[in-house]
Amino acid sequence: MSEETVLEVSGLEVTYSTNRGDVRAVEHLDLSVRRGEILGIAGESGSGKSTLAVALLRLLKPPGRVTAGSAIFHPKGRSPVDLLKVHGEELRVLRWSALSYLPQGSMSSLNPVMRVGEQFKDVILEHAPERKGTLSELIPRLLAQVGLEPRVARMYPHELSGGMKQRVLMAICVALEPDLVIADEPTTALDVTIQRVILQSLADLRHDFGVTLMVISHDMGVHAQLVDRVAVMYEGRLVEVGDVRQVFKNPQHEYTQQLIESIPRLGRRAS
Amino acid sequence: MIDGKVIELSGVQQRFHARGAVGGYLTAVQDATFTLAADPPQVVSLVGQSGSGKSTIARNVLGLQKPTAGTVRYGGKDIFKLNRAEYDEYRRNVQPVFQDPYAIFNPFYRVDRVLWKAVKKFGLASGRSQGLALIEESLRAVKLEPENVLGRYPHQLSGGQRQRIMLARIHLLRPAFVIADEPVSMLDAQIRKVFLDILLDFQRDHGMTTLFITHDLSTVYYLGGQVMVINKGVIVERGPVTSVMHTPSHPYTRLLLDSIPQPDPDARWTTRINVDDEESLPPTDGKEEATPII
Repeated sequence: MSEETVLEVSGLEVTYSTNRGDVRAVEHLDLSVRRGEILGIAGESGSGKSTLAVALLRLLKPPGRVTAGSAIFHPKGRSPVDLLKVHGEELRVLRWSALSYLPQGSMSSLNPVMRVGEQFKDVILEHAPERKGTLSELIPRLLAQVGLEPRVARMYPHELSGGMKQRVLMAICVALEPDLVIADEPTTALDVTIQRVILQSLADLRHDFGVTLMVISHDMGVHAQLVDRVAVMYEGRLVEVGDVRQVFKNPQHEYTQQLIESIPRLGRRAS
Repeated sequence: MIDGKVIELSGVQQRFHARGAVGGYLTAVQDATFTLAADPPQVVSLVGQSGSGKSTIARNVLGLQKPTAGTVRYGGKDIFKLNRAEYDEYRRNVQPVFQDPYAIFNPFYRVDRVLWKAVKKFGLASGRSQGLALIEESLRAVKLEPENVLGRYPHQLSGGQRQRIMLARIHLLRPAFVIADEPVSMLDAQIRKVFLDILLDFQRDHGMTTLFITHDLSTVYYLGGQVMVINKGVIVERGPVTSVMHTPSHPYTRLLLDSIPQPDPDARWTTRINVDDEESLPPTDGKEEATPII
């Protein structure tokens, strides 16, 4: 893994305005993402992990607003930009081709009346029209990257299982070889075997294609199995960032210790 | 009302027409045979992955879907051949809780309606004040404050509150059986525990037997009781939760237990699994089973 930084967040602050005054959801957050790594963001509900993701993706809606900070993004072959400041066309060209988003699988993220292949075309033609000629070869290759057969391209979303839909979304996410994929709870609401397949595929994408991933999950098991470094959030603050092994084996912050101790364990691990 | 009540499934098979599948149909449930007894009250969990047929079994038991083969008997009689009075009695004694706390309510009516409907339909109270007293008692039994929920519309309540309204409805009716199909999968961990504790209270205080359908093994472990593991429409293992979880005898149960991500970076999976075989079949997602094309 290189030491090259893809994203450098500093002093990020996100505030939600409510009837009872302002609520700070993310408070003075500094974080960097290295090229080629899988960075996990852990924390309980309401700790600000999803707010962090939507703020970086510029999908934050009022009453939420970014009140301070910067997020310098270094896309390959382009000049660095502050994700929190780009607007309009500049932001649009970054999306999918440099920065993409993998939503939670249970959400209806695919268009129910379009075949899967059409949805690939939609994204590719919108953001990389020069690839039009390669579509027929590109789509089966992308599906193969996540372990799906080419015939899936001809299917409608309702013909796919939850795990397959999630893998289609993963393939669309990496279609234009983005510099960074932000995955928000990619396996929540999937059952354990499908979850394992998704985690396997995410690890493969990084291993085989060098995709940089930011994985948000409340499940410490997911972090332990997948990520290289983990950042722990609590009440809007980043309490600890470190190598996954160090965070699990030798947590520095009291909250991280509590978080790891509170993981429910079944009586015994089946062998 | 609950003495000697038994739901018996024997050789239940459910096929759905499905484009692209071998032979043009998909067998969601194959030969499901089990008995749910109201005495002694118990919790029986049915666990399996998406598409294993667990929700289809719930629909068969509730009488929402007639199996293509085999029978579902209640008190010795086929539930699809009951006369009107017997069917009413069955409906009262076998109550569902579904997965989605958002889809179950009509957004145009206040939540009071689902409770009043139960009171009126089953003649639980002779007047409005008596009915209200019953409703308030049931809401308190599920840890809801009546003044916080009555008169509200579904969108004004949280998912956990809505799911507990359905439990309050069950508390009103005191059925012998509760068929709970993934009732906690859309709730967060804290509310999930509250919900499960209420179900256990119902078992202890009102003698209700629950068939609890889930894909989440930690929920099964928390509930205890008996468990049945289903894979591809076949019940592969059954027994007390502790013994099935600690000494699983079927390879599928072992795979399921092994696929829980361990919170230890040094214990990463070293083997790979492949679910493509079953995924290559059309609709295998639990939700799609709800709209079979017959």
